[in-house]
Amino acid sequence: MSQKTPLFDTHRELGATMGDFGGWNMPLWYKTGQLKEHVATRTACGLFDICHMGEFIVTGNDTLAFWDHLLTNAVTSMTDGQAMYNFMLNEQGGVVDDCIVYRFSATRWMLVVNAGTQDGDHEWLKAHATGDVKIENIGPATGKLDLQGPTAPKVIAKLVGREKLADLKFFRFIPEIMIGGVKCLLSRTGYTGEVGFEIYCPMGDTKKLWDILITVGAEFGITPAGLGARDTLRLEAGLPLHGHEIAPGIPAVGTPWEFAINYEHEFIGKGALLANKGKLFVYPVIVEGRRKPGAHAHVLADGAACGEVVSDILAVSLDKKPAAFIRTTRELKSGDTVTIQNEQGTEFAAKVMDNPLWKGTSRKKMDAFL
Amino acid sequence: MANYLVPGDLRYSKTHEWIKDLGGNKFRVGISDYAAKHIGDVTYVELPQVDDEIGKEESGCVIETVKSSEDVYNSITGKVIAENGDILNDNPETINNDCYGEGWLYEIQAASADDFKALMSPADYEKFLAELGD
Repeated sequence: MSQKTPLFDTHRELGATMGDFGGWNMPLWYKTGQLKEHVATRTACGLFDICHMGEFIVTGNDTLAFWDHLLTNAVTSMTDGQAMYNFMLNEQGGVVDDCIVYRFSATRWMLVVNAGTQDGDHEWLKAHATGDVKIENIGPATGKLDLQGPTAPKVIAKLVGREKLADLKFFRFIPEIMIGGVKCLLSRTGYTGEVGFEIYCPMGDTKKLWDILITVGAEFGITPAGLGARDTLRLEAGLPLHGHEIAPGIPAVGTPWEFAINYEHEFIGKGALLANKGKLFVYPVIVEGRRKPGAHAHVLADGAACGEVVSDILAVSLDKKPAAFIRTTRELKSGDTVTIQNEQGTEFAAKVMDNPLWKGTSRKKMDAFL
Repeated sequence: MANYLVPGDLRYSKTHEWIKDLGGNKFRVGISDYAAKHIGDVTYVELPQVDDEIGKEESGCVIETVKSSEDVYNSITGKVIAENGDILNDNPETINNDCYGEGWLYEIQAASADDFKALMSPADYEKFLAELGD
C-alpha cells in the first residue's frame, strides 16, 4: 500500500490522475493537463507537492568529515546558509542517491534525498557514521512544496516581504522564515530550471501552506503541477533522475553532472570513478520526427550498437520535439547524429545536444523577478 | 475511486478501448475516459490507413503523450474503412477533451459481429474499472 501526503484529498478535488512513485501515491497531472502545467511553470509558476522526498538532520562535531567521506562535491568549502548538489556513491562508483546537503553550521546539516531511496539512504548513513555524528530521519515529519517559475519570487515576496528575498542567491537558503503563519525553511533550489523555491515545513502544516500559496499566487498565475510536468521540466533543464541517468549499478562517469564530483578529496567510490573514466557517457539528444523512441531503446553510432535511451519525453518548451537522455559506451560530441532503434525495430535519427536543452531562469539575479 | 464516464451505447475492451456498433458489421473505435485520463495529454496520433487489415489484439494505432507512447489494441478483426486524421492530425488533444465523440480513432469493417459481442458491456466495464481500484 503506497503512502499518501497530507494533500491527497486536495489533489483528488483538483481532478488529479494519481500514480505511484517511490512508494507514494502522487499526482501525475491535474485536470489542467501536463502540457499546461509545464508551460505555466516556465512562464508563471507551478506548485508541486514533494512531500514524498526524504530529509535527514545530521549533527555532531565529526559531521564535516563524515560528509567529506560520503559525498562527492566540495562540501568542506560550504558556508552557513548554503546548499549543494551531491552524489552519494557506493564502492563501485554507482550512485546510491543524488541529494542536496544544507549547511546550518559546521555541526548541523540537513540532507534531502529521493523518495524511493530514503530507507536505503538511512541505512547507508548509519552504516558509515563514525565518531560524533547523529542522524535523525525527519522525513515523516517534514512536508515539502516546490514553487517554481518566474513569478514564484513575487508570490513569496508578498508573504514574507521583498527585502527578505532580494539577496537570496541560487543554492542559498533561509533556515527559518514564517510564510503565512507556517514556520518554513526556504531554499532557492529546484528541479525545473526556473527560478523558484523548495519549501520545507512541518508535515501537518503542508495543507495550510499549500492553501496560502494558491490564494496569494492566484494573481501571479500559480498552477498546481504534477510529477509528469516535473519530469518534462527537469529533463529539458538537463537534470538527472535517479534510476535513469544515474543509478547504483552504473559508475557516475561521463555525465553532464561532473560538477557534482570534486576529485580533490577522498570519498567512497572515487577509485571506481577513476577506473571507469572514458568508458561511459550520458548525453541529451533531440529526436527527429514526432514520435518518442521509448526508454531502453538501443543507440547506434555508425551502425554499431553503443548504448541505450535512459529517459525520454516530449520537450514541451522546444516545439514539443521528442528529447531523451542516452547512455553510451562511445564518446560523442554535440551535433553528432545517432540512430535509436526501439523494441519494435523502428529507427529514429537523433542529434546529440549540449546540456541543458533549456536554459531557464534559475541562476538569474533575484532582483529581476521581484 | 475516481468517476469515469462509461456511455451505455458502447462496448469496451480490457485495454480500455470503446467500440461502437455502426450497423452492417461496421464499428468505430476510440479510447475510454479512463484511458484518456491515465495517459495524459495526447500530442500526436499515428492512425492506421484506410484498407489496412488489422487483427484482433494487434496494435491498431499509436498514441503519443508527453511521457509515453501507447499502443491502442484493436478488438475487432477487419479492414479499416475510415480514420479520424482530419481532426486528430492537427488537434490530437481532442482525445483528452472528447474521447467518446470527436476524439474517435478509426472505423473498421468486420466479417461478423462476433468480436464485438465478446467485448464487455458498459455494466461489466464499470465493474472492471471498480476492480482496478482507481
